[in-house]
Amino acid sequence: MGETSCTGRALEVQGLTRAFGVRKALDGVEFELPDGAFLSIFGPNGAGKTTLVKILTTLLNPSAGTAKVCGLDVVTDAVELRHRIGLISHNPLLYPDLTAEENLLFFAEMYGIPQATERVRDLLESVELDHRRLDITRTFSRGMLQRLSIARALLHKPDILFLDEPYSGLDPHAMDILDSLIAQIRGDHTFVMISHDLTKGLELCSHALILANGRVVLFDEKDAIDEGAFRETYRSTVGMGVA
Amino acid sequence: MAGSSWRQFKAILRKDLVMELRTHEMITSMGLYAILTMVVYQIALTEAGEALDVRLVMPGLIWVAFIFMSLLGLNRSFVHEKDQGCIDALLLSPVDRPVIFFAKSAGNLLFLLVVELLSLPVFAFLFLQGREGITNPIWLLGVVMFAASVGISGVGTLLATMTVNTTGKDILLAVVFVPLMYPLLRAAVGATFAAIIGGPGSVETFWAWMTWIAGFDVIMLLIAFGLYEFVIGA
Repeated sequence: MGETSCTGRALEVQGLTRAFGVRKALDGVEFELPDGAFLSIFGPNGAGKTTLVKILTTLLNPSAGTAKVCGLDVVTDAVELRHRIGLISHNPLLYPDLTAEENLLFFAEMYGIPQATERVRDLLESVELDHRRLDITRTFSRGMLQRLSIARALLHKPDILFLDEPYSGLDPHAMDILDSLIAQIRGDHTFVMISHDLTKGLELCSHALILANGRVVLFDEKDAIDEGAFRETYRSTVGMGVA
Repeated sequence: MAGSSWRQFKAILRKDLVMELRTHEMITSMGLYAILTMVVYQIALTEAGEALDVRLVMPGLIWVAFIFMSLLGLNRSFVHEKDQGCIDALLLSPVDRPVIFFAKSAGNLLFLLVVELLSLPVFAFLFLQGREGITNPIWLLGVVMFAASVGISGVGTLLATMTVNTTGKDILLAVVFVPLMYPLLRAAVGATFAAIIGGPGSVETFWAWMTWIAGFDVIMLLIAFGLYEFVIGA
């Protein structure tokens, strides 16, 4: 397991609850994740996975409970925390009417990255998009957008990367490229990935978590998990067939 | 504004300008609306002929056109942010939320002023040909347009942020925006009337209305500034 600059625990979640009206999307979620781990979060639609990631990435405030990322509280230390986290979503989170380079330079300015032009060129090269840097991203394929989205998320060298169904809608070639990019940076980052794909999620993770109806059904290290039993738990708990 | 906030403000404003220059979405829709409104006004006033001094109703006509045209632009201003979840990427970055408010408001103000400036000559062409022109200095009209547009873009940006994720956001924005704009609209019409008609005491009347507009701008911008973090977070 690699080491990031988060010392000790990357995530500390205690009694985390988020209600939308009377419905609780998260209900007393608790777990801890060590630095450098790769956590895969599984669960059916509406289980609270995206709500959990939105809270951990400071996009949403919890109704109750606490969450710390890299030792920083997601509510009280939100601004400082935003320097330490990156998000890769199934949405590219890129402006379709800006070029690839303009998009990255814009976010570089938001994060105050020194020598932004060089950093942007390096990242575009690493995601194999340097030849399309002056094209507006509206013309990009899904796979290209996802690669550019990875470059955007890595711009400020975050300690923790959140991946919200990053493989969603990718063709096999684009999935291979994403696999390769994750493998390249695996040792330097803590990962938290939402996935509907049990095989892919278990292949990548060091820790696995099943969420259903806003509650943690199972959380453990992968080494301690019997895969057959895990799949059975997943099936019986969420009532879904496995991928 | 701290150095980093100023840099972020410029980056967001520049990004909005680049995207508008590339797509022309806001300026085209607002400009077309303004011109069409004026054509409709002209048709509506045709039968009045020489019996009506159009200058007496011109301030009201101008501001009705500007208020409704601004609604179109304000609705568009957050559509780009919602596309592909860009607003999440913006909110994930370490930017103070009021910086987003001021940058988006400045962009909306700029687009609004451009369309207003382009609309006025058309208005003059359609309604003031062969009539007595504006008697007070023309820059007074520029002052009221700028000051009222600050209020429109500031309050409008806050409301557009609130309504962008709602169903029927176009209607909802109008329903909330127009009543809130009433004091500003009244003062803008009063100041524009004083600037256009002129006569004894008109400059004093103009500045009295300008005090209203300035007060509205300050109060509403402070409220918007205070609420923006909550609004954008929600």
